[in-house]
Amino acid sequence: MRLTSSPHFYACLYIAVGLLAAFNIFEIVFMLFHKNRLDKSEIEKELLKHRISTAIITVTDPSEVLPKPVNAMNYAAYNEAVSSIIESFEGEIVERATKLIYKFEIDLYYKRLSRTTIWFKRAHAIDMLSSLKLKKNREFFYAVFKSEPVKEVRYRILYGLSRLARDREDIYSISKLLATLPYLTAKYTEDVFLNTITALKNAGKEEEFGFFLKQIMTNSGIPLKIKRDCLSACYLAGCERDGLIVKEYYNAFQNEPAIIIACIRTLANVDPGILPEVLHHKDWRVRLTALKYAHLGGTDLLHDLKDLVHDSNYHIRLNAALALSKLGDAGLEILRGETASTDKFAANAAKYALTGAEAAS
Amino acid sequence: MSHFLVSAAYYMQGIILVYFLAINSTYTLLILFALKDIVQNSYLSTSRGARRLLTSDSYYKPVSIIVPAYNESAVISDCIRSLLNLHYPEFEIIVVNDGSSDETIARLKEDFKLGAYLKPVRRQIPHAPIKNIYISGDYPNLIIIDKETGGKADAINAGINVSSYPIFCSLDADSLLEPDAILKSSKPFIENDEVIATGGIVRVLNGCLVKDGAVLEAELPKKTLEAIQVLEYARAFLSGRTGWNLINSLLIISGAFGVFRKDMVVAVNGYRKTVGEDMDLVMRLHRHCLDNKIPYKIFFVPDPVCWTQVPFTLAMLRKQRNRWHRGLLDSLLANRSMILNPKYGAVSLLGVSYFLFVEVLGPIIELLGYILIPVFYFMGLLDSKFVLLLIAMSLLWGISINISAIFLDTYNFRRYKKQKDVLRLCLMSVVDFLGYRQITLYERVRACFYFKGTQWDTQKRQSQ
Repeated sequence: MRLTSSPHFYACLYIAVGLLAAFNIFEIVFMLFHKNRLDKSEIEKELLKHRISTAIITVTDPSEVLPKPVNAMNYAAYNEAVSSIIESFEGEIVERATKLIYKFEIDLYYKRLSRTTIWFKRAHAIDMLSSLKLKKNREFFYAVFKSEPVKEVRYRILYGLSRLARDREDIYSISKLLATLPYLTAKYTEDVFLNTITALKNAGKEEEFGFFLKQIMTNSGIPLKIKRDCLSACYLAGCERDGLIVKEYYNAFQNEPAIIIACIRTLANVDPGILPEVLHHKDWRVRLTALKYAHLGGTDLLHDLKDLVHDSNYHIRLNAALALSKLGDAGLEILRGETASTDKFAANAAKYALTGAEAAS
Repeated sequence: MSHFLVSAAYYMQGIILVYFLAINSTYTLLILFALKDIVQNSYLSTSRGARRLLTSDSYYKPVSIIVPAYNESAVISDCIRSLLNLHYPEFEIIVVNDGSSDETIARLKEDFKLGAYLKPVRRQIPHAPIKNIYISGDYPNLIIIDKETGGKADAINAGINVSSYPIFCSLDADSLLEPDAILKSSKPFIENDEVIATGGIVRVLNGCLVKDGAVLEAELPKKTLEAIQVLEYARAFLSGRTGWNLINSLLIISGAFGVFRKDMVVAVNGYRKTVGEDMDLVMRLHRHCLDNKIPYKIFFVPDPVCWTQVPFTLAMLRKQRNRWHRGLLDSLLANRSMILNPKYGAVSLLGVSYFLFVEVLGPIIELLGYILIPVFYFMGLLDSKFVLLLIAMSLLWGISINISAIFLDTYNFRRYKKQKDVLRLCLMSVVDFLGYRQITLYERVRACFYFKGTQWDTQKRQSQ
């Protein structure tokens, strides 16, 4: 039977055409209304944020002069303004901002939101709570981590938790929770530990991270890349006190380039004596990292660097030449000599480094 | 009339109808996917947002921005000035002059005090010989490569070899990046080690208020031809590409603005000389990762914006669309092992199939529809009520897809501030079907018959 001869065919077509026409009109009207509403809301939000920031900085009890938040836009404005103040100020102003959060139950609003069924709304709520750095949220984060099924949200919870670490217990708990998640990126893990170190430093317990580093060194249950990221975080946080522990890592993990690289970054500043050894490491990435700090070793390294200008690896040749260019006249002299080298790769690297040095001077 | 002819006509009608339903359903589905992705993105890109990348030393990867240029003397200096204003902690700009016959290199020498750049180049991927490399005396992160002509792909390959950083961004010389575009497009590389490429949204520069290489205010172009392209770009990027994100099957990252992990691009031997080098590269990246079981992600990020000039004459538009379609065909042909091959999973079965059956075969079927439906009608094989209802439905459905694309744009980004611009875009959703679509359709079909050629295809520039 032909489709068009069906008695319902035209009825269906008419309905489809009618629905499409109605949908198009509805969509245009809704879009214009939505745009108008968002434009207004954005302006109101910016004004409110400015008002909140000014009140926190200038008034002893800002809650007396500020309106209570009543909708999502208000809460977002409070959250953004307060978290920005917490990041930029300290002392009394931060206390005022924190009191305001409790008084207007901003944290409770986001805690409620973190129980919604839509995962990205939960993630957003956790991000918002995390930016407030409220010590009281520590227990909440631990509890919510246990019940959270989506890993994208769990990464965020852990990140928030890392900003609230207060003692050694917390470092262990955070690293255990981290181990329950698939490895995300070096930057993420580094950042989690960096936050932890910063929080501990603020609590005057910087040495706690050193103990933790020492304890996990021989723990085979902790993956190597987590250990590496801990060392990197330690370097980024400027944990000079932990130099001895890092040296222990350096000695214990001689066959692990990733760990050696992380160690070099910290040790080059406190113990440049390791440089000659790492400059000749079999792994080119280790040699490259060492070259970035070679200028700290002074003129003792001139001959090592001269050899490395002839290395088989492009990056090593180039960086060796650049390191020589930072070692004053003696380094420049070697480079000038190398420009006439029969090894054209070395000669090119030397010419490049010399040009840079001359331009800088 | 013979029985055979009548049967054939009915079959043709069936094919056209099924195609019409399938194509529009696919577009509608993509819009729904895109809506989900955009809403999700609006929640996730807030507090731990791109700004953090700028404020934390530990949280960025340096980027090389590669700008291939061929006869771009009119716009190249503005393009570089806009790039120098980018908000990013560490980046280098590499402009590759691909043997221009105009004043491009002279203009660059004059505007940026160029001196010799002696850094040895590691030739990891092949390209035409480099004549000279310069570095700016004023901006130490600006490098100019002057090389022999080899085409756009070849120029980017030279840029990759000279670049120093682990990720690179390829950018057209007639495009302007928003100051935080690199921040936003490189963020996924930091948040996920598996990300190997990201693309941002390309928007229409024509009509916008531009000062010192920055877009001060987005306005809809006055000419209808350009205004329709605003709609077309929103549809292509926001519904098309965002939709494919959801199933990790994004096959195009625009050549105008894409960010890539250099080691992966080197692993596939760089860009291939073809008119559609952008799609070809992304397809080969998919293939390489799937063949070698490398976990990977290729993302479209709807937030970072690149503004680009679009054709402002019909002749330019036709030439561009012809080139784009040739690029699509060549990429599919070169990567034909990915067609309907279960080994490549969703990328092949959904992504590649979509391009083959919707983007390649679609125009041919649509053109057949334009020709055959009137023929069938005059042969008495269709009644007028059916034809009118079918035309009404196809128009309304198409318009609804266009308006949905504007809705996606307005929902989150609201680049066009004026209500009248949004209303005019809605009007363009209708105008799109009154000639514009048919012209581009004709070029796409024509391209199927002449799809070889890899040389530069530059267009005239308008000063902003």
